[in-house]
Amino acid sequence: MTSSFGPWLDYTINGLVVGNIYALLAVGLALIYGVSHLINFAHGSIYMVGAYVGWLSITRLGTPLPVTLLCVVVACGLLGVLIERVALRPLRNAPRIAPLLSTIGVGVVLDQLVQLTFTADPRGVPSQVPDWRIQIGGGTIGALDLLIGAIGLASALLLFLFLRFTKLGWAVRATALDRDAAQQCGVDVGRVSSTVFAIAAALGGVSGLLVGMYYNNIDPNMGYHAGLKGIVAQMIGGMGNVPGAIAGSIILGLIESYGIAIFGTSYRNLFAFLAMILILVLKPDGIFARGRGQAQEPLTGTFIAPSAPVRLPWSVIGAAVVIAAAFPLFVKSGYILQTLGIAWLYAVLAISLTLVAGTAGQISLGHAGLLAIGAYASALLVQKMGMPVALGVPLAGVLTALIGTLLVYPAFRLRGHYVTIATLGIGEIVTLVILNWDRVTQGPIGLSGIPPLSAFGVKATSGGWIYEISLVLLLLLAGFQYRLQRSHLGRTMRAMRDDDVAARSYGVALDRYKGLAFSVAGFSAGVAGAILAHVYSYINHETFTSQVSLMALTMVILGGLGNISGGVLGAILLVGLPEVFRFAQEYRMLIYGLALLLLIRFRPQGLLGTE
Amino acid sequence: MPDTSSVSYPSRRAILSMIGAGAAVAIDPRSLNAQSGEPVLIGVCGPLTGQYAQYGAQWKKGFDLALDEINASGGIKGRPLKYVFEDSQSDPRQTVSIARKFVADDKIVVEVGDFSSAASMAASPIYQAASMVQFGFTNSHPKFTQGGDFIWSNAVNQADEMPLLADFMKDLGLKKVAALYINSDWGRTAKDILAEAIKKRGGEMVGAEGYLADEKDFRSAIVRVRDFNPDGIALISYYPDGAQITRQIKNAGLTLPLVAGGSVYSPKFIELGGDSVNGVLTTVPFFPDDPRPVVQAFVKGFKAKFGEEPDAYNGRAYDTIILLAAVMRQSGTGRADIKEGLGKISGVPSVVYGTVKFDPETRRVANPVTSRIKVENGKWVAWTK
Repeated sequence: MTSSFGPWLDYTINGLVVGNIYALLAVGLALIYGVSHLINFAHGSIYMVGAYVGWLSITRLGTPLPVTLLCVVVACGLLGVLIERVALRPLRNAPRIAPLLSTIGVGVVLDQLVQLTFTADPRGVPSQVPDWRIQIGGGTIGALDLLIGAIGLASALLLFLFLRFTKLGWAVRATALDRDAAQQCGVDVGRVSSTVFAIAAALGGVSGLLVGMYYNNIDPNMGYHAGLKGIVAQMIGGMGNVPGAIAGSIILGLIESYGIAIFGTSYRNLFAFLAMILILVLKPDGIFARGRGQAQEPLTGTFIAPSAPVRLPWSVIGAAVVIAAAFPLFVKSGYILQTLGIAWLYAVLAISLTLVAGTAGQISLGHAGLLAIGAYASALLVQKMGMPVALGVPLAGVLTALIGTLLVYPAFRLRGHYVTIATLGIGEIVTLVILNWDRVTQGPIGLSGIPPLSAFGVKATSGGWIYEISLVLLLLLAGFQYRLQRSHLGRTMRAMRDDDVAARSYGVALDRYKGLAFSVAGFSAGVAGAILAHVYSYINHETFTSQVSLMALTMVILGGLGNISGGVLGAILLVGLPEVFRFAQEYRMLIYGLALLLLIRFRPQGLLGTE
Repeated sequence: MPDTSSVSYPSRRAILSMIGAGAAVAIDPRSLNAQSGEPVLIGVCGPLTGQYAQYGAQWKKGFDLALDEINASGGIKGRPLKYVFEDSQSDPRQTVSIARKFVADDKIVVEVGDFSSAASMAASPIYQAASMVQFGFTNSHPKFTQGGDFIWSNAVNQADEMPLLADFMKDLGLKKVAALYINSDWGRTAKDILAEAIKKRGGEMVGAEGYLADEKDFRSAIVRVRDFNPDGIALISYYPDGAQITRQIKNAGLTLPLVAGGSVYSPKFIELGGDSVNGVLTTVPFFPDDPRPVVQAFVKGFKAKFGEEPDAYNGRAYDTIILLAAVMRQSGTGRADIKEGLGKISGVPSVVYGTVKFDPETRRVANPVTSRIKVENGKWVAWTK
């Protein structure tokens, strides 16, 4: 059965086939990034919508393949235009981080709308491609594999021709280079933006349909992980580089396939993210960048635009602290106290992230990894080494500061969006190491029976205790961080954020200040994770997922980057709103997504402004 | 929240007693439609949105059918039985809040759920401390019921199910088995127990590949499995990923026998797997063609209410509510009564188990019934040698 090349031929072909599928997504992401320097987190959701449009059209209208494709292209193209108009164009003069959050909100809304309309049940999409297969090595490739490859290549070629030889294509490229100059030369940049979103969304939709047919399986949550893979693929190929995105996808497919071959199936993603970090460190502009001439991201003053922060007067902050501290005297509901207790712990996570992302300018999407390290560290110290909880928790913070900073260290030389994606990868690596490092973490079985919070023999298990302990922790850490951000250290970090070249020329050693920011942030997040472990009593690799990282970043952007009170406010809103919307049952996440969109639409600089 | 107003309750009772007086004693309370009285509430904590939302939707159907039957036959001593479903997205952050909400609500007498172990077990200390039963009907994590004496489960124990699967493979003459399993607490536990059981029966698990829940491509994993040179493949999956793997195994040109854990059992497995799933074998505790009357009544009721075939999760959800209602009818509706009642109950007919009886030490049910079934011409049918 095995050919003379052995299984390696099979692994290579499998890698090519999977890479082929990633490519369809990566091309659309690269196009949008190339023109608007935006990582479109809604792209996965558009892909999902494309799959559902195709499924509807095949099963309800009985359309043949070309008509199905046309339906998907039109529907998703229109959806792209709509998203650009409603969620992104109003933010064109806002800090560049605002549209990113807006795309996250759009993703939530689309996923929820489709789930409410068609239920969460997975559906089969009948394949409309002849079912013949060619035997190669020990495996086969089918007609659909070839069609997917052809559509990927054809769309890249068409895009290339469009960008190179048409007037609108020139306008697109001019806008990508310099939006203001293009406008000054008479380019209708609004129309360019619409066009790009329409094309990218149509491509995303088609890939959703084809992948749905390929696996005969679509569901409303299929977009999130597919989108992540697409982002990694285009990162490998070079952000915003369309041919690079195809090559990057193929390389990602091959890396995964060889990773499985060498280490086993459960190491697949670990291997892929490690490879991504390696490529980022060695060739930060993607392996296809020519020389080192990659366009610098225009960071100065645009990525994180300073705005007039809302300075809460001390009297207001003092009153808020007194009210918060006295709250359990008046409210006895364990439900409200527990929810707010969790909100305070997430607020610790948010201020930890706001130091790194807001003050030091390193937008991290892997912050849940720090929670996980802290949680496992404390659980293991207490359970395996018999340490008292009161000692295990702070020590877990120290360990998280050390391990977290070491893990992020390779990303210190990166800037802007590259940091975001590198940290996303690092967060995934933490989860995957927890899953695979059985002897210490017990893999997917997780750690159970973690002792509750206690000190001097008193167990703190009630909602009230969790509330008070978390609040005290938050106040201590927030106070410390306030002093830090106000000191010369904080000023230096902001200088580094606003213009790293200028900061360096004034003698600022960037790595040290980044290291300092990540250590302080690691300690805070580690302690929060440790407390969560003792509150939950059970943790496994699913407790702190990348969704938690995304939520932490949402809190920080929503509250205002670098703004401590903003982080706390963001945490209260994001933990509290889904609870408040419980009356709406299945609709609550939809309402939450819409609330997020509205908030960012009217306060793009964050509710309390960037500090 | 479903709640009859406190005003109508005494007045209805007053009217009843006026017209009934002495005659009321003669009326069989079961013939009364259980619409009067304060409802007895079950708190359900489970996913209605997020990546596991489909399972929450399946639970609801099983619950609703069971409630129809219970309330049509008198409810709980004349009081209607209802549930409050709180969406947790199977996220531990939300399950702990929901747990506080439930334990503080005097109307809720028992909690059911959550779906994933990470979400369920995070809430266990709260239910245990509040002396309220947490009843996990999908929680096969070996440590779940060790959370305390208020933590109970009727989920099929892997230590029961996997040896049955190993028996099946032995009868099929499969000595060298390679496994593909979902790398979660459930899949991992099942895989380990299966490997042990196969060994005891003189066979060997020659290799095992664990995949992540969100993976859709298994081509390279299948190459590894192929190169273990097994006689057959064991599949420990849910139905969407199970269907996917089966398709890709067939597309890779492999013709090895496929024996799957019972969790693939669903009409959806066939819809998503197409022709490829023909010939897949499995052992299931619940199977619609099972002639036992309790199963036939359930299947008939389910088809009438929802117009579709029930699957494994529908059956488990249904079973759970029937069981809890039986406990409440026998031992009362206090939170402590339910805990005591679970320890005492026996002989409750069940679609998953013949009849239910808990081991009061482990707080689990042993010995699920089992049918060997296979897919033939796009249909689940009983397997015969």
